[in-house]
Amino acid sequence: MTDAHADADFDPALSVEAVSDLATRISENVERVIVGHHDAIEDIIVALFARGHLLLEDVPGVGKTMLARAIATSIEGEFERIQFTPDLLPSDVTGVNVFNQQTSEFEFREGPVFGNVVLGDEINRAPPKTQAALLEVMEELQVTVDGVTRRVPDPFTVIATQNDVEPDRTYDLPLAELDRFMKKIHLGYPNEAEETELLGRVSGHHPIESLEPVASASDVRDARERILDVTVSEPVRRYVSRLAADTRARADLGVSPRGSIALVRAAQARAALDARDYVVPDDVQREVRSVWAHRVRTTDERSGRDVVERALDTVPVE
Amino acid sequence: MSTDTNRRGSDSSRSAASAPASASGSASSSATTTVFGVPANLLATAASLVLIGTFLAVVYDITNVVGRRDQFVLLAAGTLALATVVGWTLRPRYALGLAVLIAGGGFAAYFLALPESQVALLSPERLLADTFALLSGLSALRLLSADVWALAVTPGPVFLAWYLAVRGRIAPAVAVAGSGLGLFVLTTDATGTLTLLGVGAGMAAVGFDGIDRFGSAGGQLDVLTVVLAAMVVLSATVTVLPGAGGSPVIPDEGVAEQPTVEASLVSADDRISIVGSISLSPQVRFEVQSTSPDYWQTATFDRYTGDGWVRTGDTRDYEGGRLAGPEGPSRLVRQTVTPATPLDSMPAAWRPVAVSGAIENETLVTQQGNLRPDRAVEIGETYNVTSAVPQYTAASLRRTGTDYPDEIRERYLALPDSTSDRVRDRAAEITGDAETPYDKAVAVEEWLEANKEYSLRVSRPDGDIAESFLFEMDAGYCTYYASTMVVLLRSEGVPARFVTGYTTGERVDGDRYVVRGLDSHAWVEVYFEDTGWVRFDPTPAGPRQDAESTTLSDARNEGRPDVDTNETNVESNETEQPTTTANDTETPTENGTETNSTPVDSSAPGPNIDERLGITPTGDGATADDEDDGLVPEMPSRETVFVGLVGLLGVVAGVRRTRLPAHLRFATAAYQRRTDSPADDVFRAYDRLELALERDYRPRRPGETVRAYLDSLSRVGVDERTRQVGRLYERAKYGDGVTRADADEAVAAANAVVRARLPLVRRWAD
Repeated sequence: MTDAHADADFDPALSVEAVSDLATRISENVERVIVGHHDAIEDIIVALFARGHLLLEDVPGVGKTMLARAIATSIEGEFERIQFTPDLLPSDVTGVNVFNQQTSEFEFREGPVFGNVVLGDEINRAPPKTQAALLEVMEELQVTVDGVTRRVPDPFTVIATQNDVEPDRTYDLPLAELDRFMKKIHLGYPNEAEETELLGRVSGHHPIESLEPVASASDVRDARERILDVTVSEPVRRYVSRLAADTRARADLGVSPRGSIALVRAAQARAALDARDYVVPDDVQREVRSVWAHRVRTTDERSGRDVVERALDTVPVE
Repeated sequence: MSTDTNRRGSDSSRSAASAPASASGSASSSATTTVFGVPANLLATAASLVLIGTFLAVVYDITNVVGRRDQFVLLAAGTLALATVVGWTLRPRYALGLAVLIAGGGFAAYFLALPESQVALLSPERLLADTFALLSGLSALRLLSADVWALAVTPGPVFLAWYLAVRGRIAPAVAVAGSGLGLFVLTTDATGTLTLLGVGAGMAAVGFDGIDRFGSAGGQLDVLTVVLAAMVVLSATVTVLPGAGGSPVIPDEGVAEQPTVEASLVSADDRISIVGSISLSPQVRFEVQSTSPDYWQTATFDRYTGDGWVRTGDTRDYEGGRLAGPEGPSRLVRQTVTPATPLDSMPAAWRPVAVSGAIENETLVTQQGNLRPDRAVEIGETYNVTSAVPQYTAASLRRTGTDYPDEIRERYLALPDSTSDRVRDRAAEITGDAETPYDKAVAVEEWLEANKEYSLRVSRPDGDIAESFLFEMDAGYCTYYASTMVVLLRSEGVPARFVTGYTTGERVDGDRYVVRGLDSHAWVEVYFEDTGWVRFDPTPAGPRQDAESTTLSDARNEGRPDVDTNETNVESNETEQPTTTANDTETPTENGTETNSTPVDSSAPGPNIDERLGITPTGDGATADDEDDGLVPEMPSRETVFVGLVGLLGVVAGVRRTRLPAHLRFATAAYQRRTDSPADDVFRAYDRLELALERDYRPRRPGETVRAYLDSLSRVGVDERTRQVGRLYERAKYGDGVTRADADEAVAAANAVVRARLPLVRRWAD
C-alpha cells in the first residue's frame, strides 16, 4: 500500500472534515438511486476509504449491482462486473494476451478486474482456481499475465456477492480467502415503505442513467491517505487486541492479526467519516461485527457473530 | 455526521446483520443468568429438589418407624427417575394426567391395604373427619397402616413436583412440593429444622427462578439473601425464646425450662417425646379411694419412634355399660378419684371396665383400653371407675404360649427399621437362657434395675433412645427404663408396650391415697396369652422413691401450700410403696434391687419441681444439662454460629441493597483537586460524573463505551453539559489531548452535577 502512497498526488491539507464531507456527498448521491440501505452504503464507503474489499451475502435481486454501480459512478470511477459461473476461467477475470493479426503482435486484453469498483457476482459459483485469481488481485493490486505485471487502477475496491440460496451448487470460500475481505455485510430486503418508494423511482427512467459523479477518483485517493493519519491511541489498540484474544478464547478459530489490522483500518475510516481525527472505542464497536464475524469459526452451533457479540459484552472498554 | 445518526446506524446494522445468523439456523444462544457462576435455572431446580427432599425425609422418618422403609426408598427413587424421564419427553397435559393417576393409584392401594374391619367403618364423613384430624395436628404415625399410607402419599406430589421442576416450571413445582411438606407440618410430623429447610429451599427456588427469568440486575440476589436470612434467623430466634421448643412450627404449649416428669408423661397427648433432664412436682394431683392399691394408669403407647412413643388408632365414646375386661381371670377394683388440680387424664387401675360420674358422658376409650376425658376433669369433680385387675401368678404366666393374635403381633412387636443389630444382640444376651416370655420379661427387668442407675438429670441422647440407654448412658429415669425394656422385649418377640400413669401415692386413712405430681411414672406392660396385659416396672423403686421424698420434703420446707392435704402425713416423707396388690408379689421387681442403686442427688437444681406424670414433648439438648461443662467457658453452639453467620450474610446483603457503600463513595466525589495534568483532571471529572449517573440511573456496563453510555442516558435526562464532559474524556483518552480550559470546563460540569445530588454539600458550595 505504500506504493499507492507514492502514486497518489497527496494533499496534506485535506482535513477529516473534508473526508467526512466527501463520504456524505457520495452516500447521499448513491441514495438517490438506492432506497434504504444507508448502513450498507456507509459500510461500502468505509471499505473503499480503508482500502478494503467487501463481501455481500444475499439473495439475488436486492440491488447489489445497482449499489456497486452507483458507488462507481459517484466517484467517477470505472465500474466492472464479473458474473462468476462454474465454467469461468481465471483468464476471464484477469484478461488475456490475444494475437492482433493487423499488428502481428500479442496484445493484452484487460479482464473485467481492471476497474475502480469491481462487482464479483456470486463469487461462490466459480471453481476455487477462478476465485483465487480474483482474490490474488485483491491482495496484490496487480495482475500478472505471461510474465507481464500490470497494476489495477487506484482506487480499487471489489464488492463480491455470495449467494446462499442454492448452497449445493456452490464452492464455499475457504477461510483464508474470506479473510481477504475487510467486511462482510448483508443487505436484506427493503421494508414496505422503502419498496414502495423504490417502485416509484424505477417506474420511469431508471435514476442510475442520470446519476452524476460527485467526486473524483483522486478525491478518494486523498481521503485514503488522510485516513492513514487518524490517531489510534494505545487504549484503543489494547481494546482491539483484547477483543481479538477474547474471540480466540471462545472460538476454535478466532480472529487473526490480519483481522485486527483490518479492524483498526476500518475504525480509522469510521472515525474520519464522523469527522474525528482519532479513533474512539465506539468506532471499533461499530465496525467489529462486519469486519470480524466472517473470520471466526466455531464447531458448535454458535455463529461467529455470537462470538463477537460475546466479546463486546465482556471485554471492558478502557 | 452527527453522533445520533451514528448510533442509529449502529442499531440497524446490528439487526440487519443478525438476519443471516438466524437464517443459517444458528440462532444466537439466549444468555443465561448466572449466580456465582452457576446458572440460576440450575440453582432453582436444585432448590426445588431440596424441597422435595425435605418432604421425602419426613416420609422416610415415618417409614423408618412404621416399616416399609426400603420399599419407600425404592419408590421415591423410582418416582424421581420416572419424573425425570417424563419431564424430558412428555407434554404437561399428559404428565398431569399421569400424576393424577399415580396419586389416585396410591390411595387406592392404601384403602385396599386397610384391614377389613376398618374399611367397613369408612364413610365420607369419617374420611372427612380423619382428614381434618390429620390437618389439625394428628400425627401420621397414629394412622393405622401408616406404612401403606406413607407409600401411598409419596409418589403423587413427588412425581408432579419433580416433573414440573425438570420442565423449568419452578413456581408450580414449589407449590406442589410445598403442599406436600405443608401436610406434614400440619400433622406435626415435620420437624422444625426440616420445615425450615424446606421453606428456605422453596423460597430459594422461586427466587432463583425469578433471577433466571428477569435477570439479576438491580440486586435481586441481595433481596433474596435478605429474605432467606431473615427467615432463618427469625425462625431460629423465635424457637429459642419461648423455652427450648424442639418444633417451633407447631409450638407445644411452651414448657418452662426443665420439664417435669409428669409434663413429659401424663398429659393427654397421643405422643411422648423423650426429653433430657427432668424434675419432680410435689403438687397434689388427685386423691383416690380404692378397694386395692394399684398403679393408676393414664395412657398406653404402642408405636415406638426411636425418640418417643405414639398412640395409634382412634378413640371411641364411652357409651355406658361394661367394657371388655382382661382375657384371663380378674378381680374387680372400685376407685373413686377426686382431682385436686384439673386433670386431662383419667387415672385408673388396669383394666378399667366402667366409669360413672359427671364425666361419664365425656369419656373416650382408646383402642389400647385406657380411659381419657374429652375435657379436663375439674377440681373436686369426683368420678368412679371400676377396673378388672388381671389375676395371675408367675407359674400361670410361665405356662402361657406365644401364639399371639395377629393384631397384637402387628402392633406390639413392631420396631423402627433403624433398630440396630447390637440392640437385638444385647436383648438375646440378656434374656439368655430364659425360655418363656415371662422369664424373658423378668430377665430384662432385673438386668435394667441392676445395670442402670436412676437419675432425673440426663442429657437427652441424639439417636435411638433405647439404644443410647443400653450402650451409652449409665443413668436415666423411668421413661428410659420403660422404653428400653419394651424395645428389648419386642426384639425378643415378646409383645410389650409403654404405659404412663401414677404410682400408688401416699396412703392416708385406710383405703385412700394422695397422689402427687412426683408420683407420675412410666412402666411396661407385657402381653400374655389368656391373661392380657401384665405390668412390669423396670425402674429401680428405691432410688425413685428417694428422689420423690426428697422433692416432697424440700417443697414442704419451702412452705408450698399445695403439696399436702389435711390428711397427709407432714412428718413423713415416704410415699406409699406400691407393693400391696396381690399380683405384685408375683413380680419380684418392686423390692428386689433397691439396695443396688445409689440414691440420686435430687438437691440438684430443679426449682420447678412440678408435675411428674406429664407428656409434654419438649426440646432436646438445647439447654445443656451436663454438669461437667460448668468449668469450660461457654462456646457458642453450632446452631448459634450458623444463625449468626446467616444473619451476618443478611446484613451484608441488606447493606448492599441500601447501597450505603455507594453513598459513601459518592460523598468522596463532591470535591476535586486540580492537578498539573489537564487530562488527569478530565478523567477524574468524568469518573465523578459517572458515579453520579450510576447512582441516578445505572452503572456503565463493562463493554459499553463512554459515548454509548451517555447517549443512552441522554434519552432519560443527561444534559448537554454532561455529554460535553464525555467528549472531553474521549479526546483526552483517545485523541490529541485536552487543554487547561477544557479540563476546567469538565471539572466545573462535574462539580455541578455531583453537588446537585448532595444537598448538604450544595449548600456549602453555593
